[in-house]
Amino acid sequence: MKAKARSHGTFQQTLAPLLFLAPNLLIFTLFIVVPALQGIRMSLFKWSLLDGKTFVGFRNFALAFRDPMFWQTLGNTFVYVLAVVPLVLVLSLALALPLSKEGGGAGFFRSVYYMPAMLSLIIVGIAWRWILGFDLGIVNYALKSVGLGPVPWLIKGSMAMTSLVVVTVWTRVGYFMMMFIGGLQAIPSTFYEAARIDGAGRFDIFRRITLPLLRPIVLVVAVLATIEAFKAYELIYVMTQGGPGSSTKLLVQYIYQSAFEEDRLGYASAMSVILLVIIGIFTVIQFAAQRGNYENE
Amino acid sequence: MSRIVRTLLLFLISLIFLFPMLWVLLSALKPQSELFTFPLTFLPAHPTLDNFATAFKSGDFFLYFGNSVFVTVVATLLTVVINVMAGYALSKYYFKGRDFIFYAMIGTLMIPLQAIMVPIFLLLKSMGLLNSLWGIIIPPAASPTGVFLARQYIQTIPNSFIEAARMDGGGEFLIFRRVIVPLATPIIATIAIFSFMWRWNDFLWPFIVITERKNMTLQLALANFVGQFQVNWASLLAMTVVTMIPMVIVFLALQRYFVTGLTAGGVKA
Amino acid sequence: MARKGRLALAALVILALALPFAAAAQAKTTLTVLWFNDANESDVFQKTMADYLTAHPNVAIDMQVIPFKDYENKLKLMIASGSPPDIARLASAHVPLFTSSLEPLSGKPVFDQLAKGYFASSLALGRDSNGRLMAMPTEATANGMIVNKTYFQNAGIDVDKLSQTWTWDQWTDAMKKVLKANPKAKYGIAVDYTTHRFSTFLYEAGGRFIAADGKSMGFDTPETLDALNFFKKLHDEGLAPPSVWMGSENPQELFQAGLVASHVGGSWLINAYSQSVKDFEWAAVRMPKRKINSSVPGGKFIGTFKDSPHKEAALDLIAAFSDKAHNEAYCRDTYNLSARKDAKIAYASRSKDFAVFTADLDATPAYTADDWKSPILAKLNSYIREQIVDGLLGQQTMATTAANVQAKGNSYFAQ
Repeated sequence: MKAKARSHGTFQQTLAPLLFLAPNLLIFTLFIVVPALQGIRMSLFKWSLLDGKTFVGFRNFALAFRDPMFWQTLGNTFVYVLAVVPLVLVLSLALALPLSKEGGGAGFFRSVYYMPAMLSLIIVGIAWRWILGFDLGIVNYALKSVGLGPVPWLIKGSMAMTSLVVVTVWTRVGYFMMMFIGGLQAIPSTFYEAARIDGAGRFDIFRRITLPLLRPIVLVVAVLATIEAFKAYELIYVMTQGGPGSSTKLLVQYIYQSAFEEDRLGYASAMSVILLVIIGIFTVIQFAAQRGNYENE
Repeated sequence: MSRIVRTLLLFLISLIFLFPMLWVLLSALKPQSELFTFPLTFLPAHPTLDNFATAFKSGDFFLYFGNSVFVTVVATLLTVVINVMAGYALSKYYFKGRDFIFYAMIGTLMIPLQAIMVPIFLLLKSMGLLNSLWGIIIPPAASPTGVFLARQYIQTIPNSFIEAARMDGGGEFLIFRRVIVPLATPIIATIAIFSFMWRWNDFLWPFIVITERKNMTLQLALANFVGQFQVNWASLLAMTVVTMIPMVIVFLALQRYFVTGLTAGGVKA
Repeated sequence: MARKGRLALAALVILALALPFAAAAQAKTTLTVLWFNDANESDVFQKTMADYLTAHPNVAIDMQVIPFKDYENKLKLMIASGSPPDIARLASAHVPLFTSSLEPLSGKPVFDQLAKGYFASSLALGRDSNGRLMAMPTEATANGMIVNKTYFQNAGIDVDKLSQTWTWDQWTDAMKKVLKANPKAKYGIAVDYTTHRFSTFLYEAGGRFIAADGKSMGFDTPETLDALNFFKKLHDEGLAPPSVWMGSENPQELFQAGLVASHVGGSWLINAYSQSVKDFEWAAVRMPKRKINSSVPGGKFIGTFKDSPHKEAALDLIAAFSDKAHNEAYCRDTYNLSARKDAKIAYASRSKDFAVFTADLDATPAYTADDWKSPILAKLNSYIREQIVDGLLGQQTMATTAANVQAKGNSYFAQ
């Protein structure tokens, strides 16, 4: 970082970055920072969309900690994130490895694996809900025709969560695979040649060369996948509506439900702030690991 | 031998990705009455394009399509321009608060839109952006992911290129246009693909902003096929297939740059 | 200089040309209408009002259809930002949520006169807590049962006759025979995944959500528990499919596919099934009796808001839509029950099924409407549904479900 270009302090060069940043910063401040600050302010009020607001200090936060539904949805969120992120990481890397070199139909397979990532989550959710239907779904129908019992894909709580995780991985794995392919292609082939001359086996090469050099991108994928998973809403809402009961309801859905259906905006904002802090902690940990990595280079 | 096994394996995996989409496509070709008859059939018994015809006729398909194209294209242009400029400023200049701005932007990635929907709505209202396609285009244009990708990629462009251009007396904006933009083409393509897909598929922003029929986008129209107690599967499936086509075209057209764009950006993260 | 002058001149000319158009555009009132569809109501509404629009060439309608599940949120956002639509379609559960924002219709001579032509039970759902009418009924709905008649015939049961007076025990016996005689039918009954449809069972068992005095919850009672346990029994014995309440399958599709023999839904199904069911005969039947016979009244409404930009024009259009001719045409073409006392509707078919729903509705106790016009029940809706599912899954007893709902509801009453 220290070796980067240092602008020479001419007036133009001091002004230039600000001008380059200005349009982005303006939109960013106006449409993200301001509403976010407003959201934080809201968390200190008992705030109804239709009937006004009263200041209550930190009472909304206290309410959240005593609300069993808050804890349940938070727990569900953790289960979902901790299942989705490692699966996405491992599988997208596994798909990227054989497809990082051109030829052998790599272009075709890449496009196919990437295709689900191009669909809107609402469409993905509707299609899978239909495919996994207990009585009318094609999967159970196929299982039945080969003599296997119907599987309660979206019916039993744990099974429904599993189905959601699988579908999430299905839609996102191609996207992150592309990032890994980018990373793999950037590793100079001289490294591999040198290793091969030293007589290293395939697994050795992967472990000692590919993986360490790929670490930065593993972290990028991990950060993005984690944030995405914490924020997941549309797919789940369409596929299970958080059910059966509330067994796949994640915190974001509960926030949305509290804000609109129950008209408790302040309470919803307080839970959003808590969620933000949690995601923040995860991200800082990941970024810290990344920085450590820099210093070792 | 192992090559064949590998290709076979990759092929089997692609079935997992293709099957659900194929099922949707085949179902879109079935007449409504055939969708829920038991036993289920994989292939349509009486293939028909009626669903597509109905979907086109119902509502103002071409109006919504036009709105979606307008929003997606303009928003993608705007997103690419402002984010690449910001990425450049954050990677090749030094100024006070630079890293703070960068991390603040990344930090906002973590805010779920659902949580700040109400403040955003009130803000859009006070700015007169409600019910306007610009209200969908402008606010989400400052995308943290876009800045992130652009910054990481531009960092890998050697400073000597910029220094050399400065020696030749190029102004800062000229350097950006003549040196940085050409070298950053792959990441520009990448951001363009991401932005295109996100905008084309986005439901929440249009849902917040649009209340007039003439400004509706395809995704809003699509959601209308899902009623309270019934889903208009025939139209929904047909429309889904139609909305996928532009995306596939854009992806195939830009795919070449796509992987390279992620290459440098990724490893230098 | 000359160039600039020419530009200015051109601009002036364009402006002059545009002015008359701008003026004409201003004279035209475009009413924004926010709508959700069960089937084709938005189209029928526009068709019904075509003559009105011809007679009022300065009025136009901008119809915006929103998916039902997002409808309430969208409307709340619009109202909260001070930009409500001119006209909104409202389900009965919406009315109590928006009473503080709706423009009252009571006290306006046209509407006071119109209201005299409507059933009191329908108007009740459109009133606020002070009894003021806030929105006009467009159609009345009733919960009830629709059966696959072919399946009953296959089992040698005359369902028309049996269902005149049947109890749930008789229904259960008959259903066991039906399932035996029809291998394709997997389940006896599907109930829509809504608190409103469940409430049919609650009322039949003699229970209710809110206490008679309207000041606290009245849910945690032996009658409620009986309804909840009966509902669970239907699921435990495999008569009801797990995929509707515990999964995400659509009961309408299950019925259409011939997988269930009866469906507890509502009068709007007549429209849907007359279009989509081709493979078997079906009919509306009386709800089987438990402690009492009951349906659940419901309805759809239209209203305008205090802050609507074209409130007067909206009121005029609503009044016109609520007269006898328009109401009959709308209900006929949407296959709905009318809320007007004087309506004589010649449905294209299926008038017998409408008579069945009406008969169920006539037997329904009046307090059912008090429950469903309560803003507190509107807020509890999802919670009750989730609590019932937790009971069905066996994660808690139904007694806990009743107690939880009671407590959560009372916490709203306490505020």
